[in-house]
Amino acid sequence: MALTLSPLAPWPGWKYLPRDARDTLFLLGVIAWTVLPHVPHLPAWCSLLTLAVLLWRTKLALSNSALPGRWVLVGVLLIAAALTFYSFRTLLGKEPGVTMAVVLMALKTLELRARRDAFVVFFLGFFLVLTHFLYSQSLAVAAAMLVAVWGLLTALVLAHMPVGQPSLRIASTLAMRTALLGAPIMVLLFVLFPRISPLWGVPQDGISSTGLSNTMRMGSVAEVALDDSIALRVRFDGAVPPPEAMYFRGPVLSAFDGTEWRAAPARADAERQPENLRVRGAPVRYEMTLEPLRLSTLPLLEASASAPLIEGYRITPREDLRWVADRPLFERLRFNAEAYPAFSQGPTQRNLRLISQLDLPASFNPRTLEWAAALRRDPRYANADARALAQALLQYIRTGGFSYTLAPAEYGRDAIDEFWLDRRAGFCEHFAAAFVVVMRALDVPARVVTGYQGTDPTPIDGYYIVRQSSAHAWAEYWQPGVGWLRADPTAAVAPDRISRTRRLQAAPGIVAGTIGSLSPALLAQFRESWEAINNRWNQWVLNYSRGQQFDVLKRLGVHSPSWEDLALLLIGALSTLAFGGAAWAWWDRHRVDPWVRQLESMRAALRRLGVAAAAHDAPRALAARLRERYGAQGESLAELLDTLERQRYSRASTVRPDAALTRRFLWLAQRLRMQPRVVAPG
Amino acid sequence: MNPGTTLSHAAAKPRWFSPAGFVRARFRRWLQARLPRTDMLLLTQGNVYILPTRAGLMFGLTMLVLLIASINYQLNLGYVLTFLLAGSGIVSMHLTHATLRGLTLHLKPIAPVFAGERAILNVVLTSPDSARFGIGLKVSSAAESTLGWFDVPAGGQAQAQLSFVPEQRGVHELPALGAETRFPLGLFRTWAVWRPASELLVYPKPERPPAPLPAARPVPGGPTQLRSTSGGEVEGVRAYRRGDPLKLVAWKKAAKALESGGELVSRDTSASAHQELWLDWQTCSGLVPEDRLSRLTAWVLAADRAGADYGLRLPNLTIEPAGGEAQRRRCLEALALWA
Repeated sequence: MALTLSPLAPWPGWKYLPRDARDTLFLLGVIAWTVLPHVPHLPAWCSLLTLAVLLWRTKLALSNSALPGRWVLVGVLLIAAALTFYSFRTLLGKEPGVTMAVVLMALKTLELRARRDAFVVFFLGFFLVLTHFLYSQSLAVAAAMLVAVWGLLTALVLAHMPVGQPSLRIASTLAMRTALLGAPIMVLLFVLFPRISPLWGVPQDGISSTGLSNTMRMGSVAEVALDDSIALRVRFDGAVPPPEAMYFRGPVLSAFDGTEWRAAPARADAERQPENLRVRGAPVRYEMTLEPLRLSTLPLLEASASAPLIEGYRITPREDLRWVADRPLFERLRFNAEAYPAFSQGPTQRNLRLISQLDLPASFNPRTLEWAAALRRDPRYANADARALAQALLQYIRTGGFSYTLAPAEYGRDAIDEFWLDRRAGFCEHFAAAFVVVMRALDVPARVVTGYQGTDPTPIDGYYIVRQSSAHAWAEYWQPGVGWLRADPTAAVAPDRISRTRRLQAAPGIVAGTIGSLSPALLAQFRESWEAINNRWNQWVLNYSRGQQFDVLKRLGVHSPSWEDLALLLIGALSTLAFGGAAWAWWDRHRVDPWVRQLESMRAALRRLGVAAAAHDAPRALAARLRERYGAQGESLAELLDTLERQRYSRASTVRPDAALTRRFLWLAQRLRMQPRVVAPG
Repeated sequence: MNPGTTLSHAAAKPRWFSPAGFVRARFRRWLQARLPRTDMLLLTQGNVYILPTRAGLMFGLTMLVLLIASINYQLNLGYVLTFLLAGSGIVSMHLTHATLRGLTLHLKPIAPVFAGERAILNVVLTSPDSARFGIGLKVSSAAESTLGWFDVPAGGQAQAQLSFVPEQRGVHELPALGAETRFPLGLFRTWAVWRPASELLVYPKPERPPAPLPAARPVPGGPTQLRSTSGGEVEGVRAYRRGDPLKLVAWKKAAKALESGGELVSRDTSASAHQELWLDWQTCSGLVPEDRLSRLTAWVLAADRAGADYGLRLPNLTIEPAGGEAQRRRCLEALALWA
């Protein structure tokens, strides 16, 4: 059947496929499912190649044809490596790595010959599942990957059921059972496995999170995720600064290539100090608890004049007023710092470095550049200084029909043009980026500053909470004689965002909008439960870190938990499990087969009757010996033994020993013992 | 008593001497010698062994890579994945072990075979509780590729057939049998070694092509009037015995007997066989003892096939002439056990 089956023949039905073909198709399906979420990150050629290979393999499986030779695969692999290098200019790093892993996975399906090959596919599959988490750890991705892992385990189980044609349902049930039984161990390890800092440095692009990052890409983020998780907590000693002074300074982005903002290249060590920082008045002292932000920049309150002391880290300043740790922060930190709300910074004279803050890619946003040139031609601004120009831009934003939204539609190539002149809707990143671009076009040095702005309005236990959703971007421009000045164009359109520091709700999507217009209560309920689930997910899974681990330990009664306590507890729990297993095994060792137990009790009765009955004697042999010794008197007992022999060893054997038979045998044996002997032992 | 208690079946001989292999073989022999022989083996914690497979070690390595990636990228979901796989792996260890544990292996009585022929072992696997999948059975020392795979239904039985080729005559202990499984994930291999108590009687290898039967001799002191079986009158009939040649069946009488619910009847030629066929050790002079036994075996088979009465004379042992299945068995056993 398999030989005549061609892809054009009608689908024979899942059940009627030959076993090999069915298993292969199932595995291909699982692989496709595992690769599918990667498609947006992969170069187009990789997606197409993977699709082609999987389809080819499907055809081969259906027609039961021979697999291609090894040299074909090596050739394709080399071409894929070359294409990867062409796409990324390197073979190292996250993106090329994922691309190559996908290609390898697809090509390996063409080489499924031995059991070892199948294992390579499974293990590559598990690895691919992990790579998805580099891009997103959302609930949806987790659910999709759970299905992928289930599929891979099912295929693994299927590969170890060599008899007949086991149904997929049975295999998947067995796989699920295995995983469910393993779930308690997973939970135990997850809760107690000490969260240690990275063993070696990893490229920072590997992390996707809402919050801060070292780059800002225009036009790609259509909808910023509202991440309500906590970024940091602040407790002030003394007076609390007003909300509009709550700027926590993060990465400063001054290099713009038309689509992406990046930090300026690092400078020599000698220049690692705040450039010409002048502070006035008394400092604000505060204690900050910083969640792991996976960045090296500390989001300190503006402006810090000295490095906070943090055990285990070396904090150094940069000339753009950032404070940077010697390695990314992967654990929760608590430290004391002080800030001067009144300050000026930056060079007072124009210098070479400022020139670089005027760079604009020429081929992007031509209409905005033209708009700026037109503004310059306006006699009112022909000789205006930077401050006046900034005021003019803010005025333009205030009166130009701009609106603040967290869900702007996606922007195209000339994002600033579209934003500044056409659509005029966006959030802080758009406003700050557009402001800086226009200022630079007006020949004023300017840069984008990211960080957090504002806190939750009411403190909890004296702590003001700053959430990831308070991540903000603002602008700085350079005024001769003064230095860098902060301008927050978002405040011009959404002053609420700044002064009342109330976090804005995202505009509803289409579905939510429809539901909302039908039943606002239902929508609110949906959103509430979804947010609750998402929040739990964030709190308990994604943000579970050493701090939470220590909280668990504290709840268990450890007063000052440490790394070692955690390790000890984990080792203890695992040892207890293993010991429990061993104890059970020891107990189980003495388990006796019910048949053996039955026969043993019968043998004991026979021995009492004076019939030799060794452990290896079958019922048949015992019956013969009984007849020999007791003749007709022992016949009824012998017959029972024969019955037992039949029960035990006939083709249609019964499964459980017949308890009635055992009782009757013991009773007859007892009676025989009481009777006077008729036949003398021979 | 037993001339050949060592069995040489498909055991792969190492091409060169390797100390590790030698030690391993010695250890395996020592271990197996400690196992009690039994025809019914319940697999328990005590006689089921388990070790990770190469794939299991690879799985461990994969998990290490996943763990390092999770640590370096601080991926909590990566931890979840790694620990889920670790948990499944640990559970699979127990499941693999449980696939054999609790299983009962029982060997059915085995029929004698000739040396060099395939001896069939019928093994019944019984599961008292849940279904068990992917259990492989083979003769312990045989190659991996000889594994036969079986599923045992829940609370049911599976019939398995194993075979091996005994090379020498005599009473043989059965070779150790091995049951193993990697179900469900293939990360661990669990196995049990079983030494069945039954013994296998192996007849000598019949000579091939067989030498012609020796001539029958008149019996000294027997009736002087000789009559040939084919031409003579039938002196009597007796019940058909297995192994009687068809030409001896008295078809007319048999038909009547069958109608009345009886059995087939054969002509009783014993009374008419006044010639005696002696299969004698001495007649095969010029051969080494084992070859003599082979020739005698071939003769026993030929004489039995011909339906003749025959006697067997070995040094120290004489079996009086007779015919039929019982005689055949008696002679073959004598040949198998002669020492």
